[in-house]
Amino acid sequence: MTTIRLLAAALAASALLAVGPPRVPPPVAVLALLAAVLAVGELWLRAPALSLEPPAGRIGLGLVCGLISLPLIALALYLARVPIRAHSLAAGLAALTLLLGGAVLLRERAGGREADPRLPWTFGAIALPVLVALVVGGTAVWAYARLPHPPQPGYTSVALDGWAAGIAGPVAIPRGGLDVPIRVSSAGEPAIVAPLSVIVDTLRIAPPHPVPIAADTAGSIHVHVPTPPNGCLHRIEISLGAASTVFYGRGPAPC
Amino acid sequence: MTWTAPTVTLTLTGAAGATALVAADRAAEWQRPGAFALFWLGMLVFTLPAAYWAVRRQPGPAPRTAVLVAYGCFTYLPKLLRNPAGPLYHDEYAHWRQSHEILLDGRLFEANPIVRVVGDFPGLHATVAALAALTGVSVWHAALAVLIAAHVLVVLGVAALAEQLWRDGRTAAVAALAYGLNSSFLFFDTQFGYESLAIPLMIWTLVALHRAIRGPQRTGWIAGTLLLAAATVVTHHLTALGLVAIMLIFAAALTGRRGCRPAAWTAWLLTLAVAGLVAGWLCWVAPKTAGYLDPYLGKALNQIAGILNDSGSGGRTLFKQSVAPWYEQKAAFAAPVLALAATAAAAWRLRRHRDPDPVDRGGAVAALLIGLCYFPAALLILTPSGAEGARRTWAFSYLGLALLVAPTAVALLDRKARAAGPALAALFTVLLVGNTAAGMNPSYRFPGPATYGSDTRSITPEVRAAADWLRATQGRDLRIVADRYSGLVFGSYGDQFPVTGSVTFPTYDLYLTQPGRPVPPPLLHQLSEWDFGYLIVDRRMAEQAPEIGIYFETNEPIPHDGRPAFTLGQLTKFDHTPWTIKIYDSGDIAIYRFDFSTLGGPQ
Repeated sequence: MTTIRLLAAALAASALLAVGPPRVPPPVAVLALLAAVLAVGELWLRAPALSLEPPAGRIGLGLVCGLISLPLIALALYLARVPIRAHSLAAGLAALTLLLGGAVLLRERAGGREADPRLPWTFGAIALPVLVALVVGGTAVWAYARLPHPPQPGYTSVALDGWAAGIAGPVAIPRGGLDVPIRVSSAGEPAIVAPLSVIVDTLRIAPPHPVPIAADTAGSIHVHVPTPPNGCLHRIEISLGAASTVFYGRGPAPC
Repeated sequence: MTWTAPTVTLTLTGAAGATALVAADRAAEWQRPGAFALFWLGMLVFTLPAAYWAVRRQPGPAPRTAVLVAYGCFTYLPKLLRNPAGPLYHDEYAHWRQSHEILLDGRLFEANPIVRVVGDFPGLHATVAALAALTGVSVWHAALAVLIAAHVLVVLGVAALAEQLWRDGRTAAVAALAYGLNSSFLFFDTQFGYESLAIPLMIWTLVALHRAIRGPQRTGWIAGTLLLAAATVVTHHLTALGLVAIMLIFAAALTGRRGCRPAAWTAWLLTLAVAGLVAGWLCWVAPKTAGYLDPYLGKALNQIAGILNDSGSGGRTLFKQSVAPWYEQKAAFAAPVLALAATAAAAWRLRRHRDPDPVDRGGAVAALLIGLCYFPAALLILTPSGAEGARRTWAFSYLGLALLVAPTAVALLDRKARAAGPALAALFTVLLVGNTAAGMNPSYRFPGPATYGSDTRSITPEVRAAADWLRATQGRDLRIVADRYSGLVFGSYGDQFPVTGSVTFPTYDLYLTQPGRPVPPPLLHQLSEWDFGYLIVDRRMAEQAPEIGIYFETNEPIPHDGRPAFTLGQLTKFDHTPWTIKIYDSGDIAIYRFDFSTLGGPQ
């Protein structure tokens, strides 16, 4: 392929990549990036006129040079204090393409180069097993992922929810008590009915209240916490089955 | 005819091999017998025919390249099947996080809480993050694309290097296949880790180095060598150091050789330049690296001294309590012996068949010297601290062995094809089985039931859900105290900054304190000063001993006698300390928020 065509291919791929996801679907973007990486890699080799036998070696070295262009661009962006994003990377790729392409064109004006007729064959020799591997390996992974697997251990979780998730110290509990939101989640376990209890210090406030927990669900419930007897620090535990949350609170009365 | 037979054969055997590998993983996860046998059946049903086609005379360079690419693709499949959907190995969580952080924040060199030096070597993460950003695929899928490409590039790179050295396509193919026998090839250097990209970069740097010292276009190849070496340096510390060591050996092997003066000068110049690059990077960009690597080497040397001085103290028993089958264990012990025999045969042949080209002769001697490093490194495998390092050096020393042994194998095939073919196939099988068994634990290679204290099997949906909940309700980049296994998930998927303890910051003392006893005040002061907000408690620590013998970190002052080192009381005491608020509980996992303001005592 002539250098001009390589340059055009790399720049067109960079432009497509600059549009970026989600407007360019991932499969198209992957192909564009592959084209850009291979083209830039080949330009890396042409710039100092490197030739490597056999042709597979040249393609391999080209792919390596194309691949390392990505961290090189990322490093340059970092040094220039530009955030590493799709647009900046695509711009960097285009700039590198132009830089290398310019160097190659300048050199070729002086000497020129002959195309290796074996290169397309070797590309084919690499592409064929890659395609077969994609089909065979892809099918194996797809099948493995879809076949039944042993169930993972299930769990039921209890967590402070809503404003209560932000409790960072003793809570001032007003007269009349406080409704504390609790998030209850279940995954991989059958539906159960778990006893809900509120314990202030060591005292269970009321008999356990049964709470049904459906399988594989997450929901929020409000639990009423009564006013502690005084303004001293009191331990408040809300337990649901074997799981619980614990925080500390003070009542309005003096300690 | 040239293409049809290998294409049909390898497609069919590839499909059969892939089916057997899937069956092996399914047998392992359902705890049915036969996982190991199915795994090796799957591997050998493809790799042996691939080796046959690669070393035959008839196929030209293009079909041989196709076979090597197929070999590279197929040998990635075991790791791909092990965790197709996300990180699983310890270091994979660190690298996944690092790439994910680049996507989120757009910056390199961010600190990593799981492997502390990872952030200073951004080559892999920048590549993966760039691919993910430009294409819209997930970080994991972008990583897979990079890793599969890197794995195939290893095979092609060794072939290219061998072809430079021996100028024969068959020898090059044998060298590539032989390199694939090293213990890291199937599972370690295929993981989402910086070495997986750095190893191919190093190999291609050596290809460029060889061209630079041979010429023509020496200046261009010198520039190419420096570019590739720089990419290796910014990707992985150990590989960069390994590259310098290999370049030193190359330069030394050329020095003083008749007809090699310009080549030796170029080799020394490039070696010094790359050594300068490595030193510069380690001094100015990644100064933490020396402190990170030093304890491993120091402890390993002490343990070797212990083995030599007082009859075995400090050593480890290979395959202790391993579930690996007998043939894997025997093959693991046989592999170094067979490698030694092959090296001796190749060295003898090297002495008898002198290459007329002095540079190639120097390269062959360098390969011998690099290959010989494999044997002393094997001694380190007998030490707990050196075992990991020993295994990692084999990715370098096997390069020398592969380059050295390949011409001998081809010569044997040419002279005594009928006997040499089966013998070499048997050697290939024993080395593949033995080195793989020595390189990776079964729990890393196969799925299995959830087990506490295993990097690969202790991560359950419950831990993931807790990490997701913390990030969703409290935000990211929170400083948290955790054990090793929870730390992996909270530090990666959870986007938090976990600390799992060290000698200078013994956060494990929080867990070790007996109920009713005070937690050491200096530790609480340190946690408060450094703005630690959360504590993660995995109650399985009181139910099971960790499979890999670590709760928090390798130097933890915790007994490992096969029984849990914690009582349930030690882990649930935080339910009763006023400075910990239990905000989340799912049975095994509890999350506490620190409230150091109440440390004055309850009133």
